[in-house]
Amino acid sequence: MLAVVPFLLAGVAACGGGGAGADGEVAITFVWWGSDGRANLTKQAVDLFQQRNPKIKVQTSFSAYAAYWEKLATQTAGGNAPDVLNMDGRYLAEYGGRNVLADLNQGPGKSISLTDVNPELAATGVYQGKRYAVPWAQNTPAMIYDPAAFTAAGADPANGMTWDQFADATQKVSAASGFSVRGATDFGILDTALEIWLRQQGKQLYTPAGKLGFTADDLRRYWRLAGRFRDAKGVSPADVTSSYNTSPEQSPLGKKLTSSEFAYDNLLPAYKTASGKALSVAPYPGDASGNNGQYRRPAMFLSISARSKAQEAAAKLVDFLINDPDAGRILGTDRGLAPNLKVRAQLAQGATGNDKTLYGYESALEPKLGAAPPVPPKGAGSIQKLLQRTYEEVAFGRMSVDDAVSRFMSEAEKALT
Amino acid sequence: MTTFRAPDPVVAKVSVPFARRSGRPGGRRRTSRPEAFVFLTPWLLGAVALTVGPMVVSLYLSFTDYDMFTSPKWVGIDNFVRMFTDDDRYLQSVKVTAIYVLVSVPLKLIVSLLVAMLLNSRRGANGFYRAAFYAPSLLGASVAAALVWRALFTGGGPVNELLASLGWHTPSWIDDPKFSLASIVLLGVWQFGAPMVIFLAGLKQIPPELLESASIDGAGALRRFWHITLPMLSPVIFFNLVMEAIHAFQAFTPAFVIGGGRGGPADADLFYTLYLFEVGFQDFKMGYASAMAWVLLAVIAIVTAIVFRTARLWVFYEDAEAR
Repeated sequence: MLAVVPFLLAGVAACGGGGAGADGEVAITFVWWGSDGRANLTKQAVDLFQQRNPKIKVQTSFSAYAAYWEKLATQTAGGNAPDVLNMDGRYLAEYGGRNVLADLNQGPGKSISLTDVNPELAATGVYQGKRYAVPWAQNTPAMIYDPAAFTAAGADPANGMTWDQFADATQKVSAASGFSVRGATDFGILDTALEIWLRQQGKQLYTPAGKLGFTADDLRRYWRLAGRFRDAKGVSPADVTSSYNTSPEQSPLGKKLTSSEFAYDNLLPAYKTASGKALSVAPYPGDASGNNGQYRRPAMFLSISARSKAQEAAAKLVDFLINDPDAGRILGTDRGLAPNLKVRAQLAQGATGNDKTLYGYESALEPKLGAAPPVPPKGAGSIQKLLQRTYEEVAFGRMSVDDAVSRFMSEAEKALT
Repeated sequence: MTTFRAPDPVVAKVSVPFARRSGRPGGRRRTSRPEAFVFLTPWLLGAVALTVGPMVVSLYLSFTDYDMFTSPKWVGIDNFVRMFTDDDRYLQSVKVTAIYVLVSVPLKLIVSLLVAMLLNSRRGANGFYRAAFYAPSLLGASVAAALVWRALFTGGGPVNELLASLGWHTPSWIDDPKFSLASIVLLGVWQFGAPMVIFLAGLKQIPPELLESASIDGAGALRRFWHITLPMLSPVIFFNLVMEAIHAFQAFTPAFVIGGGRGGPADADLFYTLYLFEVGFQDFKMGYASAMAWVLLAVIAIVTAIVFRTARLWVFYEDAEAR
């Protein structure tokens, strides 16, 4: 236990930033989540920012997604929140609703320009009338899939499928490998997939008032749909499904145990690297009318701590990361498409490889993309895990769909109050 | 959370007979010297700032609703009531932890005693084996050992392959609710080094003439074990039982790593400490988490007290008649 002390002290020292030095120098701290590769890109962008603003010193650190939130919560509780921080929609209400984040419509935050950001996308950073965050990237829920496997099964996901066609295709893909590589990762555990499916029927995951936007009956129908895929062995078996973990390297598709998985389009390169296959992106299956329920999703946000003593410098960094063409070039599509439409258009022209696939996919989908849903309520961070473990009870045959649904509904109600 | 440290074998060996002797000051006179406190100061400062202070704060927080960002709100015993009346996952975490303690502790003690006896019976060359058997517990609560375990028991991993070659087809152990906890119990048992070293020291202290005279009287190996080794070893067994039970209640790292940081498939690996961590640091309910921590402390204290009570019935001290 004592071994922790030096780290704690170092942490305190590192977080003491935000003050102005004697010679007008300002130090700010900046944290984000993600992989090493992402960190390299982000540090390059930060270096460029420091070159252009020699009076501002930026101290960076990053961690994996889950660890990031644990660390941020502890730092915030200790009054040592970083000046500039990476924010996720799932936690925006949690932090924003507790006055931890600065309102960027007031004071120095106003210097962050949002004129070139799609207004619907920009609106996703507003919670209860206050701008607690600005979108740092745009992505959209998508199906990552192995074109070779699906083509061999006579399906063409890129042109859109109905759920029935998708069921048929996954069954054939599974059968082609003797059911060792399944057609899709079981989507019963995914709140993203549930959200899209709900939107296709005009419903939503959460209401603007912060309650569940669907009924027990909706969830029952969703899990019955997943059950159809499971019975036909079109989707992964239960023990593979339960190994799912949000990182592409750890997911069934990344481990080559399935041939498709619902995720986000900007994760395509990571999935490709993990699986070593020539994967591609396709829209979600939909209904016959072609309504696919997809939307312009804020992949993640940037926020400024309400307690930051260097709000001006912090706002400058945020503005740079979002609007500067050179920053946009460095950051690429790793987090999703650049939020600034001018920067995005510039980058789209010179795009190659994965980037080209992504720009092509999103521009083809653009006319069909709806507005993002309201900011998820406090407690939304635990709903994904709840969905996952209650569905696992069903997939392993330990619980009936009805029982699992009622457990989900009662626990979700508690989590969201 | 982890105020208990892994037992240092040397310290443990010295302190084994602590249970009975501690009340007696022995021959030395107790004198209080002020300079002793000067030397104690660094430790006292550390203990107050890093252990006592946080404990007092957490005791206060356990009676509040505290989300870490806004100031705590006093709610009385609400947290404690909710735990037992309105939280299925809490009860699941109690169940998982109870199973883990009840299964892994006896198994670990049996295995460590068997290995210690094996090492004790071979005179030569056991330095190497002692080190080899002890090594896993050096890795102890480490993330690395748990990651290796994950790789071994994952779908299509070495364990699956081995069992399949014997004709037993199992799913991915760590991802199936039926097997997942078993894989964590196995990891716990595999790290039997610390109690084993203590057992070994205890075995070496059994006077050989006792065993010798018993065998001259015609006692077989089993009888000697049952009537001499076990009673002579009972203080050591007692010590190991107490320490291992306390550790088992606090197990966290293996469950966190093997269960993917979320309590495993369908909450099959939802250890008490893991749920506590999740409630506090992921769901922002630090008041509730503090209350859970205090219940755990109380349960460990009660279980330890019970073990101490029953010790009178089965722990044999050589110097007992001398009193």
